[in-house]
Amino acid sequence: MEDAQDMDAYTLAKAYFDVKEYDRAAHFLHGCNSKKAYFLYMYSRYLSGEKKKDDETVDSLGPLEKGQVKNEALRELRVELSKKHQARELDGFGLYLYGVVLRKLDLVKEAIDVFVEATHVLPLHWGAWLELCNLITDKEMLKFLSLPDTWMKEFFLAHIYTELQLIEEALQKYQNLIDVGFSKSSYIVSQIAVAYHNIRDIDKALSIFNELRKQDPYRIENMDTFSNLLYVRSMKSELSYLAHNLCEIDKYRVETCCVIGNYYSLRSQHEKAALYFQRALKLNPRYLGAWTLMGHEYMEMKNTSAAIQAYRHAIEVNKRDYRAWYGLGQTYEILKMPFYCLYYYRRAHQLRPNDSRMLVALGECYEKLNQLVEAKKCYWRAYAVGDVEKMALVKLAKLHEQLTESEQAAQCYIKYIQDIYSCGEIVEHLEESTAFRYLAQYYFKCKLWDEASTCAQKCCAFNDTREEGKALLRQILQLRNQGETPSTEMPAPFFLPASLSANNTPTRRVSPLNLSSVTP
Amino acid sequence: MRRCSEGLPKIRTSIFSFRIKLMAEGELKDMEQFFDDLSDSFSGTEPEVHKTSVVGLFLRHMILAYSKLSFSQVFKLYTALQQYFQNGEKKTVEDADMELTNREESERKMEKEELDVSIREEEVSCSGPLSQKQAEYFLSQQASLLKNDETKALTPASLQKELNNLLKFNPDFAEAHYLSYLNNLRVQDVFSSTHSLLHYFDRLILTGAESKSNGEEGYGRSLRYAALNLAALHCRFGHYQQAELALQEAIRIAQESNDHVCLQHCLSWLYVLGQKRSDSYVLLEHSVKKAVHFGLPYLASLGIQSLVQQRAFAGKTANKLMDALKDSDLLHWKHSLSELIDISIAQKTAIWRLYGRSTMALQQAQMLLSMNSLESVNAGVQQNNTESFAVALCHLAELHAEQGCFAAASEVLKHLKERFPPNSQHAQLWMLCDQKIQFDRAMNDGKYHLADSLVTGITALNSIEGVYRKAIVLQAQNQMSEAHKLLQKLLVHCQKIRNTEMVISVLLSVAELYWRSSSPTIALPVLLQALALSKEYRLQYLASETVLNLAFAQLILGIPEQALSLLHMAIEPILADGAVLDKGRAMFLVAKCQVASAASYDPLKKAEALEAAIENLNEAKNYFAKVDCKEQIRDVVYFQARLYHTLGKTQERNQCAMLFRQLHQELPSHGVPLINHL
Repeated sequence: MEDAQDMDAYTLAKAYFDVKEYDRAAHFLHGCNSKKAYFLYMYSRYLSGEKKKDDETVDSLGPLEKGQVKNEALRELRVELSKKHQARELDGFGLYLYGVVLRKLDLVKEAIDVFVEATHVLPLHWGAWLELCNLITDKEMLKFLSLPDTWMKEFFLAHIYTELQLIEEALQKYQNLIDVGFSKSSYIVSQIAVAYHNIRDIDKALSIFNELRKQDPYRIENMDTFSNLLYVRSMKSELSYLAHNLCEIDKYRVETCCVIGNYYSLRSQHEKAALYFQRALKLNPRYLGAWTLMGHEYMEMKNTSAAIQAYRHAIEVNKRDYRAWYGLGQTYEILKMPFYCLYYYRRAHQLRPNDSRMLVALGECYEKLNQLVEAKKCYWRAYAVGDVEKMALVKLAKLHEQLTESEQAAQCYIKYIQDIYSCGEIVEHLEESTAFRYLAQYYFKCKLWDEASTCAQKCCAFNDTREEGKALLRQILQLRNQGETPSTEMPAPFFLPASLSANNTPTRRVSPLNLSSVTP
Repeated sequence: MRRCSEGLPKIRTSIFSFRIKLMAEGELKDMEQFFDDLSDSFSGTEPEVHKTSVVGLFLRHMILAYSKLSFSQVFKLYTALQQYFQNGEKKTVEDADMELTNREESERKMEKEELDVSIREEEVSCSGPLSQKQAEYFLSQQASLLKNDETKALTPASLQKELNNLLKFNPDFAEAHYLSYLNNLRVQDVFSSTHSLLHYFDRLILTGAESKSNGEEGYGRSLRYAALNLAALHCRFGHYQQAELALQEAIRIAQESNDHVCLQHCLSWLYVLGQKRSDSYVLLEHSVKKAVHFGLPYLASLGIQSLVQQRAFAGKTANKLMDALKDSDLLHWKHSLSELIDISIAQKTAIWRLYGRSTMALQQAQMLLSMNSLESVNAGVQQNNTESFAVALCHLAELHAEQGCFAAASEVLKHLKERFPPNSQHAQLWMLCDQKIQFDRAMNDGKYHLADSLVTGITALNSIEGVYRKAIVLQAQNQMSEAHKLLQKLLVHCQKIRNTEMVISVLLSVAELYWRSSSPTIALPVLLQALALSKEYRLQYLASETVLNLAFAQLILGIPEQALSLLHMAIEPILADGAVLDKGRAMFLVAKCQVASAASYDPLKKAEALEAAIENLNEAKNYFAKVDCKEQIRDVVYFQARLYHTLGKTQERNQCAMLFRQLHQELPSHGVPLINHL
């Protein structure tokens, strides 16, 4: 009934709203009673305030006033909405708007309550769920929410699990959703890809993204994540194709700028890359991934101070951005301040306790500071949580070598070699020869001639250790001929895998700098 | 300028405020008119304001800023002015509660009752926009208050709130992070202070890189100082290993870029860190030399002061130390480093006390306190509440307590409590001092249980002192074996950390233990060791106390003549500089020796000697009365009664005996033979 009454005013205002004349829309909606019209009225007032705020930032009077411009409408809106809220006259959209206003006023606790209420009233409004997502900071908070029992809740949970880095749970949720009939949803597919990206399962994420692009070729959302994956794998042609494609679809999107930035970065045109990241930030100042990426670019350009600035900005936007903390640590490490960067690496490690890269970085710092005990702990932990770059064991072995703990060093090298061969990847590992050389000498000292000669033979396969390997083989032969009987009873601690190919095709090594990944 | 500042200041200000009123109550065009008029004041044959005068410069600056404003900014300025004016008006009308009312006037009009308390508080805390200069002033003011007079600064919580507010408005305002670091130090928050410090330097590195005058140099400089500051932070929190690592880093970077000044700072810190483990003054001497060479007076004299402190503990002669301090004082006055002057005087007080010259110490402490007036000329009205003042005041309190002026001492302590509230950084000093005085009084009074309860407090503040006091209490309670065990442990520890003063005190206590358990022969070598040590380190005060002990041991061993001659050597410094208690003990001992040695005299001479002894006893009684040592008084009275009896003066004897009886009923006897007290 009311809807019909307000129909004319509503339609007119909607038209004004659509062309972004918010004040005008609000003016014509004043006094309308229907809930729909009321929401539009309030919402246009809110948006008008936001717009004015953005305009205001351009001409402020002084530097200290910069952070001071705020949406003037917010307080009035809050007062009116809270009155309605107390009278229980707000519908789902009204509640959503009320929550947004509260959040903007930094009244987080109240905002959470209101959003929860909004989801109860109108469970199918994804906006309210998303806002709720942004306000939840940990698992504990999630536990204490009383959410409506609808299928929307499953989406929400999956989303927030991804956000809180609980990838296993998130993937499970998404799989359940697919099983019950959402198999064709491109949203779910993209979210799964992002989840795989977060746990650095690059191949799987790539294949899913490729699939997604086939289904939905004009999609721009999440393509920045895709480009990060392509970047990490240095797939230049694919990245270039993606960049051109997106640029054709819409060149003024944050994601597009990001993809182009990544593309230039991969081509080592770092100035241009930084430019595109800056453009992305102009389009959306709250897009935090770009700050971090820009920091990486400045690092590549050796402009450490600008890099620090960019990283600090990223942290300001989101304190939990572990990549920015890690980046800051790297910057100071480049400036040769290993103790100073410890703090930053520790912060990063706190945020990602199971990421080996931070642990290896920490270990390296400790090693530089001659804190070998701590360094050993870090490397060991890095290995224990699943080393991405397979460097922790070598470093640990070298540390043991330094401390003349030959037994442990040998153990580490053995594990390292087993690791390499068991994962089956044909990737050149620079330290392989070092490992074999050490093992050969170790066995030689232990008088395990058979093992020593096997390892020495392996050494001969590498350029840098060939001579040493040959020399060792000769020595072994000599000693054996002299009749020194090897202690065959002693069980050899390790047997080399049979499938050792001497000429590995050398491909690129994963460098520790390729951290440019964006988690949503 | 002259005309402006002297000629008609009153009229000027009233005209200005009138113009502002006109503008604020009028329209936009009034403001435009105002600025037009303003630029006219420079023109003409005889301009109202000279172009290069201070006022002229300010006005031209203002006009320039105004003409740079864009259209919308002009309007914004105008509304801001209007608001400012209205606020001012209201302030004069309703002076109370203005903060609340005027800011939220618009809301109040709308719906006052709708606003719940939470938002109101929040709004009030955001005390509006600060201009760049205002913010800078706020920061520097608070920082200097934190340094000089913590009680006057905002409380940690409210200061942090202000800072957060400031940073919310302008995250690039790096100095605020530094103040936040200082503020966090106040509440001993390692985590947040590290965070703030690093954030500050991250920001500083930016500004250093941006400003072209500094260029690459400025950037590297802040890096070095960042590492150095981190070292200081860790040192402050007692993370010495971490501090050392950070310092090494700072040194390395500074060396790479040949920054001698920074290196010099590092060297001083290196000494501070090294001090915690060993006392190598080579480093320090080197540091002082270098600092003089590079023209860093502050560091140089700080180095000299540390050196003096160290040498004083190592037992160098006083004249050399005082010479060094005098030289550095010259340096301070030349560069007007008032902070260091304070430290220097406080240090002199401490050195005089170490050497047992209480009068000199008293004089120095009072000098520092009366220097206050001098400081007020320099830095406005603020009082100096630095560490050196706390130290001097504590010494003053202890000195007064030693002389039995407990009322004065507690007055000083009360003052200390006011000036340095319990949560401020120097509060520990007076807390320890207070407890020590209380402990001594309780011991004098014979209230050992009270003293025992104070031991825990002392131990919390200074563990060595605590253990020592615990041993004394045990000894007084006749738990000899426990006391002995504790003292032996303490002795070994103190010898390890080379705390000579404490070593001697412990040795004295050990000796006392021995003669109290009737084995004075063992006590003798211990006492001789203590005497040798205190002579070597020139600790006059402890030396005379050792002599006192030695004389007593000799008395017990039956050589009172020897003891008497020894006493004559020690009595002079004790009467001149010693604590009242020691004076009493010395006099008592003299009387005892006199009596003991008079045993072999002929009757006439004996009576004479006994008379003299009675005189001395009277003196001793007076001293003991000053510090409320009832137990000692009882002993004295007993002794006196015996002497009177020997001399046949019945009336005096009876009087003394009555006094003794009174005291004896008051005090529980611990079953120690009376004569066995020093």
